[in-house]
Amino acid sequence: MDKNRQGAKASYVAFFVFVAIWIMSPSFVRMGTREAFVEFQAPALHLVAKGRDLARFWELKSKSAEELAAASRDLARINAALELKVRTLEDIRQENIRLRELARYAAPREFLTIVARVASRDSTSWWHRIVLRKGRSDGVRPGCPVVFSDRVIGKVSLVHLNTCEVDLVTSPNFRCTAYLEGDEQGRIVLVSGLPANSLGTARAKIAVIPMDYLPSAGQSPKVVTTGMGGVFPAGLIIGTLDANIRTTQEGNFKEGTLQPSRNLFSLQEVSVLVPIHPAAGEILLEKRYEDFQ
Amino acid sequence: MSWSWLIILLATYPWLFAADLMSDWTAPWGLNVFISGAAIVLPCSRLRRWQAVLFSGCVGFLFEARRPIPDGILALALVAAAIFLTSNKPLLRSAPRLLRASLLVNLAATTLWFSAVALTLGQLSFRNLGDFLPQLLLQLIASALVTLILFWPLSLSQIAALDYINAPLANETP
Repeated sequence: MDKNRQGAKASYVAFFVFVAIWIMSPSFVRMGTREAFVEFQAPALHLVAKGRDLARFWELKSKSAEELAAASRDLARINAALELKVRTLEDIRQENIRLRELARYAAPREFLTIVARVASRDSTSWWHRIVLRKGRSDGVRPGCPVVFSDRVIGKVSLVHLNTCEVDLVTSPNFRCTAYLEGDEQGRIVLVSGLPANSLGTARAKIAVIPMDYLPSAGQSPKVVTTGMGGVFPAGLIIGTLDANIRTTQEGNFKEGTLQPSRNLFSLQEVSVLVPIHPAAGEILLEKRYEDFQ
Repeated sequence: MSWSWLIILLATYPWLFAADLMSDWTAPWGLNVFISGAAIVLPCSRLRRWQAVLFSGCVGFLFEARRPIPDGILALALVAAAIFLTSNKPLLRSAPRLLRASLLVNLAATTLWFSAVALTLGQLSFRNLGDFLPQLLLQLIASALVTLILFWPLSLSQIAALDYINAPLANETP
């Protein structure tokens, strides 16, 4: 028994020494440990996600020929309409380029679209995240915007070899600037995720709403990205502003709640927008990562 | 057997992964299915101390890896719990005691990681206690329910793995 007590004492001492070493250890040691455990779990995550895709494939395969013919007819109609739209937009694009050249206006950031399947979702009061089945090897970088159609879903927070983690719009770590629909002066508001009540709906906060801003009665104004800050392209829909706008305690601005544009936890597939030319901040981040490697 | 901890870890991992998949399902309600604390108790009753420490550390790191929890908080807490449990093996001799210990360790670990993340985000202060405590309570209820539901199947798979490696029973010295 004494031997057991002595062993326990020695173990506690060794534990406290290890805790001290862990706290003082450089960040690359901790990052390396985390990365190793993420990569250990990645194959299982891929396997389950592929299993889900396979189940979906068989579900679709069981549809009748009539249903498939109807779906294909609908798609052909949509394609025809979109082709027409693409031609109109091409003319506008050419005109836009000419005008930008005349005005010597800086070209907006160009993005490469990477379509990614959602592998898993994870949420508590303090984080709302999804894991995507695309990672560093596919060209995804930290900070890249994640969208579904023209709607903002979130921002890539961590990138691993074959997976990446996305902080959703409602996650407390999420921040971006936005414009409110109906604000003629185009004043900027700040969107930030809110810690959600468990069992409640996840939402985000819209701060710095000008005092004279009044949304149209009976309408939920859209909240769209500004394109400033170099992360999100301009004009993407983040969500809608809820009706209950209140004045802040200081009385100089108003604030409201953002209702995300989609049910963020029901998404199966999203697009990661990877800037073709990395921003200065991203280059610094990459350099730091290379040093770590 | 020096690789016992790894064999037990491999036997336990499917359950940890299943908990992650259940978290995927409970994500719209903002609840996390957490069983890492409960998963270390039974192996601690039969593994040697250093093996239990390695096993518990890995279980903690596996949970932390894909979540914004401060590095090492949960892993180190589970290691401390493993040292305590392996030093007091008589406490874990019967099934009801194992269940009680699993519940306690799981709830304590849940409180720790939940509070650690809240603290990191600046959400844990006297002013926010009114918001924080009900959320913590909900997460604790979820963790307790998961422990009660998964304790028996998890224990059975861990006992099978421990029997396979001929780990001695709880009443022997660490």
